[in-house]
Amino acid sequence: MSSPFSINGGACVAMVGKDCVAIACDLRLGLQALTVSNNFPKVFQYGEHVFLGLTGLATDVATVSDLFRYKVNMYRLREERAIAPRTFANLVSSSLYERRFGPYFVSPVVAGLDPKTGEPFICGFDSIGCIDFAKDFIVSGTASDQLFGMCESLWEPNLPAEDLFETISQALLNAVDRDALSGWGAHVYIIEKDKVTKRLLKGRQD
Amino acid sequence: MADRYSFSLTTFSPSGKLVQIEYALNAVNQGVTALGIKATNGIVLATEKKSSSPLADPSSLSKISLITPNIGMVYSGMGPDYRVLVDRARKVSHTNYKRIYNEYPPTRILVQDVAREVQEATQSGGVRPYGVSLLIAGWDEGILPEEEDTSKTSTDDGEQKKPSGKTGGILKGGPMLYQVDPSGSYFPWKATAIGKSATTAKTFLEKRYTEGLELEDAVHIALLTLKETIEGEMTGDTIEIGIVGPPADHLLGVEGVEGAKGPRFRKLTPQEIEDYLTNL
Amino acid sequence: MEVLLGITGKDFTLIAASKAAMRGATVLKASDDKTRHLNKHTLMAFSGEAGDTVQFAEYIQANAQLYSMRNETDLSPSALANFVRGELASSLRSRKPYNVNLLLGGVDPITHKPSLYWLDYLASLASLPYAAHGYAQYYCLSILDKHHHPDITLHQGIKILNMCTDELKRRLPIDFKGMTVKAVTKDGIIDIEFDDDKVVKSA
Repeated sequence: MSSPFSINGGACVAMVGKDCVAIACDLRLGLQALTVSNNFPKVFQYGEHVFLGLTGLATDVATVSDLFRYKVNMYRLREERAIAPRTFANLVSSSLYERRFGPYFVSPVVAGLDPKTGEPFICGFDSIGCIDFAKDFIVSGTASDQLFGMCESLWEPNLPAEDLFETISQALLNAVDRDALSGWGAHVYIIEKDKVTKRLLKGRQD
Repeated sequence: MADRYSFSLTTFSPSGKLVQIEYALNAVNQGVTALGIKATNGIVLATEKKSSSPLADPSSLSKISLITPNIGMVYSGMGPDYRVLVDRARKVSHTNYKRIYNEYPPTRILVQDVAREVQEATQSGGVRPYGVSLLIAGWDEGILPEEEDTSKTSTDDGEQKKPSGKTGGILKGGPMLYQVDPSGSYFPWKATAIGKSATTAKTFLEKRYTEGLELEDAVHIALLTLKETIEGEMTGDTIEIGIVGPPADHLLGVEGVEGAKGPRFRKLTPQEIEDYLTNL
Repeated sequence: MEVLLGITGKDFTLIAASKAAMRGATVLKASDDKTRHLNKHTLMAFSGEAGDTVQFAEYIQANAQLYSMRNETDLSPSALANFVRGELASSLRSRKPYNVNLLLGGVDPITHKPSLYWLDYLASLASLPYAAHGYAQYYCLSILDKHHHPDITLHQGIKILNMCTDELKRRLPIDFKGMTVKAVTKDGIIDIEFDDDKVVKSA
């Protein structure tokens, strides 16, 4: 109940499709059962095709997202190129492990397309940076159990972009409806080779 | 307490010059010549291995070093200073890069890290500048998609065809060759030389270098250039060559590991050098 | 039982804070001002642990004023909110974290857009149309959900604020001694006369 991971609530999910990936989050910010804000996005963009989702303690969501904005901007200035999703994932991992004995209470999710091959890339982490490479989907947040169930039943390989949007949206929306700490609308990103689509889902406002 | 009075030894002369750095360059210019040539599919680094006595064991002497699996380095100037820089370069390639991104640094990043170390020695208290110039050669993977060879149709009219669209650099990937000086400044080259006969060697390289050079030709030119400047005889034991080329999977130590790529940088064995010399 | 309330409207941000300074069950003072002016168009209200609140608020106030003196320009409300979050976030992982909850209200000096930021002691930051801290949240947010609209005038805002304080008087078990009410508009921060003596009968 008073775990730092479930004070503020929130959910995030990423999925692989055919030559595309999707990442989505809910918009709730709460204090235990009380909802404080219904406009608190948890997915952040760090490059044309690099996205990071962060669930967990809201203060650490903000701190960690700002930290990676700094680190990725420094990377781009130093190397005169955008960071690749796999490289970014390893940066997330090493940055979190740096705080091994006083961790940020977040469960990150990375989604993107490899700039060289266009190959979809997703992975998830625990709060100290252990990477979970997945071929299908990654879930995180207080609705992760529900998301696992939804993804296991809805996801199938090689979904085209439009179908992937429908799948990830239904998975998230129906998962957060069974979680008291998540919901209140959603952001969904569909990442394709030369197009990124962001959609705002209203969702149930209760 | 002692560090309170360790002022920098490198101070400006009234004319605006840092003479300590010029002295360090003089040390480099007395050093054994080293050279590097960039080809389309690789790079060659070469130098003379000079022993002061016929009793010395040449196989134990090594002037070209591997820094990361895809980056190698050679020097001209003071050997002990070079060894310190090799250690530093190997260390920072991990602490500043591999341990953060789980991949090795691109050549320019490594060069900048080494150059920073060299520059700091010109501005810190209680130290002297490094008495070496370096040639750093490496292959970058790049992040841009592989280009379709659009030049194929245009090369049908009898011109020499390009073996690859890679010209080096962080974005496209390919071979990169840099020189680092005692001041900490660094330059990218197609081909260059440092040390005692650098001027002669560079004039020779200017004549011999052509665009679209391949690695085998580059090794050939490297040996010809070295021949112009060398004092002793040229054998597999008196010449040292390092190449950046295709992944050397035979150096991996294992077989059948999916996705495992051998190092692109490797040193040629005395036997391999002898083979090149007989064909000279 | 400290009360902090914030309401934004068309061209203003209202900030209200209870006047009672308490220690345990004792009311030590009935005219406490739990707000600090950060600059001409930004106001901060605070609640939390006794020593921490004023100490932290005045540290922020001093830094906001130092910035204004050095740069001959004021920080915007959003810049200040993010600065406060940074200070609170580094405090959170220090040996002795500040236990302070804040509301930061302002009107942007250039765009004249009103804004309200909600910050808790964990340094969670949210930009909101209306906000509260402490027990007041449970009583007031539902009233605000029903009656608030982004285009309300200051007069309407004060009316909604009265609905909130009435409910608090009706439901809270301890007298909070009325409210300090201030409004931030494009012309600066103004004190709002507020009738603290109004008696509300319990249901």
